[in-house]
Amino acid sequence: MLSLLLKSMRSRIIPTSLVTISLMASMVLLLSIERIQQGTEEGFNQSISGVDAIIGPRSSSLELVLYTVFHLGRPTNNITMKTVNDIKQRSDISWLVPIALGDSHRGFRVVATQSNYFEHIKYGNNQSLIFLNGVAFSELSEAVLGSDVAERLNYNVGSEIQITHGSVESIGSKHDDFSFKVTGILKKTGTPIDQAIFLDLKGYELLHLGWMSGKKVFSLDDIDLSSLPAGALDPKTVTSAFVGLKSKITLFKFTKSIREYSKEAISAVIPGIALSELWSIVGLVDKGFQLLSWIIIAISLIAMVTLIIASLDNRKQEMTIYRANGASPKFLAIMVICESLVIGLVAIIGAIILVTVVTYFATNQLNLALGISPSFKWISLEEIKVFGLILFAGVLSSLVPAVMVFRKNLHQTLS
Amino acid sequence: MLETLGLEYHYQHGKKIVFPEIEVKRGQRLLISGFSGCGKTTLLSLIAGALKLQAGDIKFDGINYSSMSSLLLDKFRADHIGYIFQTLNLIPFLSVSENIALGIRFSQSRKSKVNDLNQEITRLVKSLGLGKEVLTTPVNRLSVGQQQRVAVARALLGKPDLILADEPTSALDAETTKKFLNEMMDTFDSTKQAIIMVSHDTSITHYFDTVIDLNKQHA
Repeated sequence: MLSLLLKSMRSRIIPTSLVTISLMASMVLLLSIERIQQGTEEGFNQSISGVDAIIGPRSSSLELVLYTVFHLGRPTNNITMKTVNDIKQRSDISWLVPIALGDSHRGFRVVATQSNYFEHIKYGNNQSLIFLNGVAFSELSEAVLGSDVAERLNYNVGSEIQITHGSVESIGSKHDDFSFKVTGILKKTGTPIDQAIFLDLKGYELLHLGWMSGKKVFSLDDIDLSSLPAGALDPKTVTSAFVGLKSKITLFKFTKSIREYSKEAISAVIPGIALSELWSIVGLVDKGFQLLSWIIIAISLIAMVTLIIASLDNRKQEMTIYRANGASPKFLAIMVICESLVIGLVAIIGAIILVTVVTYFATNQLNLALGISPSFKWISLEEIKVFGLILFAGVLSSLVPAVMVFRKNLHQTLS
Repeated sequence: MLETLGLEYHYQHGKKIVFPEIEVKRGQRLLISGFSGCGKTTLLSLIAGALKLQAGDIKFDGINYSSMSSLLLDKFRADHIGYIFQTLNLIPFLSVSENIALGIRFSQSRKSKVNDLNQEITRLVKSLGLGKEVLTTPVNRLSVGQQQRVAVARALLGKPDLILADEPTSALDAETTKKFLNEMMDTFDSTKQAIIMVSHDTSITHYFDTVIDLNKQHA
């Protein structure tokens, strides 16, 4: 039966292919949306680990997390280092890492921080940052590179880099009076860390000595760095601070007390909660896309049944010859059902291949755009269920033409 | 081998046909003639088991059609009957040999009568005056006469007891009809199969042992 069916389908290759492609495309759409959404969520959730709270200026918690962890969105206001030091003195704090953002190097964000960043900031499932080459910075003129920065810009330990003021390179925006020497390159993490350049906060402060209101007033070449007074390079403000608490039980109490901090308008954001806020917003859009995909799948299945019904008239000769040679109506009805199964299976196989390709490119795009590298499975149990459901719906809908064939009297076609 | 008993057929539009009693023995050639609309194809469909009996019965080797379910009738047709259509006898996307092989595809008993399928198809094709090369020729490149011969080969494959032919010469010219019938009848002579053919062409009556004119029956 299968060889007869395949030859029959081959004789109707164009309409059959179009229906198969439309069914396949709708499945690719559905699964791609699902995979990219899950991958992005997984990538985001894995980007920061071990950080109990992020302290920053009082603003939207999501905005703060997106900017400080993922380097996305608008810069937030700064908080004073005095406030940061105040908080650091609290008894419930285990560690605190301040960061300052704003500058860049050839499109990659600069994160000015302290060397304890590499000790406390983790990713994935509480994995520590590992140096692929070299060590953390110990001098203000040293820098550490994320793996993507080193790879794409072909930098090694010992390379010298100059920083650009702000996130966009333009004339006069370069801190060309001071260079940083790369002392270490981090191992790939699949997080925005890979696309960051880490400097010492004091080095960052030094860069901005001659700058006022975003413009260079004087060059560092004009001053004697050794004559700078003690504390001149201590940062006055930072963007935020990552905090680890001694006990997680105190987390909500801690965030409440930070909100109530009277000397400066600051807030403490729990990264997980802020991200779940993001997923609840994204989830609505995602559900809309999913609904749309299911509608397209339904339309494709209707198109498939329409094609089979429309082809029945053209296949009258074929069906009559089978019947006259002894094929039962059941045989022909099964043949029609098998046709929908073949279309469904080919569409599923094509969809798996295409979704894999789409996912591969999506991973690259997510890595470029968001710095995350989610790991995608070849095929998940949920996806198998979706395929099974579509196949079942296809077979179910093909019962309409199958019954039509079954009820067709041979004499009607003979005469 | 085959006999009909009191066959009648009522069409939906109200017309009723009472068919004559027919008896066909092995190797016998029966021609049913008559003008269009006299019920020739209906009679053939009843004998093929393609049409449900309304009144009367058909006995094939002592087995009553009325005692068989439609599923059994399909199997019975596959095992015992070869069918040749008026036109459009072949499936265009199958090769000539695949078209011929369809004759035994749905019948184990006819399959068991064929030892070497390719050899048997080649033999049948040659006996019907076609060259071996026709087996690989696309179906749509064959002439109508050649297509009818291929259809005959399909009906004969696996030696069914009875061949039913529904005006197989209607699309052929006189010369081709003569050549086609000569070759077809020669093949039947060697296989001793019975044939019931319907045709309105009275010039071919001499090829048959018995002729039943349905017009006269109605008159």
